[in-house]
Amino acid sequence: MKKKLLTMILAGAMAVSMMAGCGSNTSSDSNSGEKKDDTASVDTSAEGDKELSVYAWDENFNIPALKAAEAAYQKKDPDFKLNIITQSQSSDVEDAVTLAGSSGDYSTLPDIVLFQDHYINRYVHDYPDAWQSVDDADVNWDDFSAEKISYSTIDGKHYGFPVDNGTVIFAYRTDLLEQAGYTIDDVTGISWDKFDEIGKAVYEKTGKYLLCMDGDGNDLPYMMLQAEGVSQFKDGKANFVDNQTMVDVINVIAKLAQDNVLYLANDWSDYTNQAIQGDMVAGVMNGNWIIPTIEQVAENSGKWEITSMPTLSGKEGYASNGGSSLYITGNCKKADLAKDFLAYTFGGGEGAAETYDAALTNGGVISTWAKAGESDVYQKGVEYFNNQPIYSTIVEMGTHVPTVEQSDYHYTARTQVAAAIHNIIDGADTASELKNAQDQVDFAMEGGNN
Amino acid sequence: MQKGGIFLNTEKKYKSVQGKQRAAGWAFLMPATILIFVMSFWPMIQAFIMSLQTGSSANLKWANPITFNYTRMWQDKLFRGAVFNTFFYLIIQVPIMLVLAILLAQLLNNKHLKFKGLFRTMIFLPCATSLVGYALIFKSLFATQGLINDVLVRLGILETNYNFLGTTGSARVVIILALLWRWTGYNMVFYLAGLQNIEYSVYEAAKIDGANGWKTFWHITVPLLRPTIIMTFIMSINGTLQLFDESVNLTKGGPANSTITMSHYIYNNSFGEGVANFGYASAMSFVVFIMVAILAFINLKVGDKRD
Repeated sequence: MKKKLLTMILAGAMAVSMMAGCGSNTSSDSNSGEKKDDTASVDTSAEGDKELSVYAWDENFNIPALKAAEAAYQKKDPDFKLNIITQSQSSDVEDAVTLAGSSGDYSTLPDIVLFQDHYINRYVHDYPDAWQSVDDADVNWDDFSAEKISYSTIDGKHYGFPVDNGTVIFAYRTDLLEQAGYTIDDVTGISWDKFDEIGKAVYEKTGKYLLCMDGDGNDLPYMMLQAEGVSQFKDGKANFVDNQTMVDVINVIAKLAQDNVLYLANDWSDYTNQAIQGDMVAGVMNGNWIIPTIEQVAENSGKWEITSMPTLSGKEGYASNGGSSLYITGNCKKADLAKDFLAYTFGGGEGAAETYDAALTNGGVISTWAKAGESDVYQKGVEYFNNQPIYSTIVEMGTHVPTVEQSDYHYTARTQVAAAIHNIIDGADTASELKNAQDQVDFAMEGGNN
Repeated sequence: MQKGGIFLNTEKKYKSVQGKQRAAGWAFLMPATILIFVMSFWPMIQAFIMSLQTGSSANLKWANPITFNYTRMWQDKLFRGAVFNTFFYLIIQVPIMLVLAILLAQLLNNKHLKFKGLFRTMIFLPCATSLVGYALIFKSLFATQGLINDVLVRLGILETNYNFLGTTGSARVVIILALLWRWTGYNMVFYLAGLQNIEYSVYEAAKIDGANGWKTFWHITVPLLRPTIIMTFIMSINGTLQLFDESVNLTKGGPANSTITMSHYIYNNSFGEGVANFGYASAMSFVVFIMVAILAFINLKVGDKRD
């Protein structure tokens, strides 16, 4: 009897100690987990009155911009502090938003988040409480590129402060062009057919591709269509098959790839590390945030120059790709401070010139704020690009970018069209592949809207 | 009366002792049971409920009709493609891997082999590497400007660099090669353990009876290893159907989604591209779960020779 009792007590003790063990573990975890690098949650309540937290991801690009803004605002309010929480990549920020939105617990978000413009439309629709409108902020929205602002304006309300600029540049290696007998002017304001011709000559003479792109996240169709003023979407639906411009653009891409004018890399790192930095190409066309990637190869300094895009008709083409904005989350208890800070710096307030100049110098971040282009820093020639004043050129080019219809399903369309292009290059029929891609996008939309 | 009373009393006492023993058993089982239920079964039930819902993740509604996510799957070309890819890996890779593992185990079980420990370690070592790490190494090996291309071009086998990961057929082969490298040693260890349990005298007896190596292998080793073979089969099938890291890190499912696996597609539907289609993703997870269960069941039935 006593033995049984002892057994019971021991069993009970074990169970209790196990539970207690778990309990003490979790409590010690949460104690040690209060460090700021804990990405799972941000304790905004522990911040001071003059402190704001923000998620960003690029040490060489957008984090210097945020530091510049912090320094600029500290002139207005010396006690102000910006707590920049570094994420390893942009998708980490997007995952954090999805996670917070899905659980309905926005306390895991910092006061401000920075993410790519194509997501905000969907996020506002999916998680309306996660964002605070910034309509009442002291900003003259007309000073920014209309195309850029169109992303973060949803149902007529402003949600974001633009940071960088996605204006597409076409950068050429002028030394390689020369070897094939061309100059930068020969590739400015040309048609894609002419481009194909020049590209073939360049490949023959130098063995380099005149254009390259990540074949997995293929942004070429989007950029080339935008330069024509056409969208992949019409009235909220995918518009591929009956969109003659799109069919033409896709055929051009396939032809360029077949003619060894275009190199489609397997993925992003293949694109940046192998194609661009591995010296496989004589031309790069993408949002101007690609410039720091190009500049990594020091020995090619002075050989690059930038210009506008080719188009189907042969006029100069302008488009925008990528870029991100800052959004105030529903978790921000100091919304007035956040709005004032962002309006004063990125929003074109008194500290804007200082912010944008430092952001450009330290991080290569180019603004869409029209007045930024007037500053000396922007007017300066850049040695790497043969002393071209590329920054003011880019700001100027940005004003020509046509606004086209955007969609929540931008990335779904990109994936499907990229797959279609891959098959078309391998010999599949354009019409049937585009039909297939359109069906897939419709299918995704139908599932999301059911 | 008194006797009966005593008898009744002892029976009562006996019963209550049994009851206490039972209670002790339950008490021992309880902590683990509760933890498994809370950590594993409860999320599974939640996932099933979620698989019947649609809409954005913050605002899930009951699907209309309730089986919407499940019927939708059969019209989803990409999902069918992912199922095809996964079974392609399964059917090609698992048999090759298990045969290789059993042969290697047989070789390394040889009493007279020198440096046995070294060889065993070398073959087992890949499975101590991280899944992401080894996938990235394979990716750089097979990159268009990578080592394999370099070697093949220099040896004159290839004329120009070949885009291994950008071509459907070769990308699938690379994934299978990577899986073989990573998992063969792991399975070999199970076979080695199994072989060690087979008495050497059985082999001696076979030798005396005039059986050659091949016959010994088929008629002694394989039957005696049957339980181990079944276990490795089930584990490999289970693992391959949930294949994720290789698809994500080696090829990103490309080119044109031709190497994407089911788990990768499920992930894309929950976190990729900002879609957050958790209802549909849960439904697909359940279908994968059912597939694994069916295959494991068939495997057990086929392997069971008791009747």
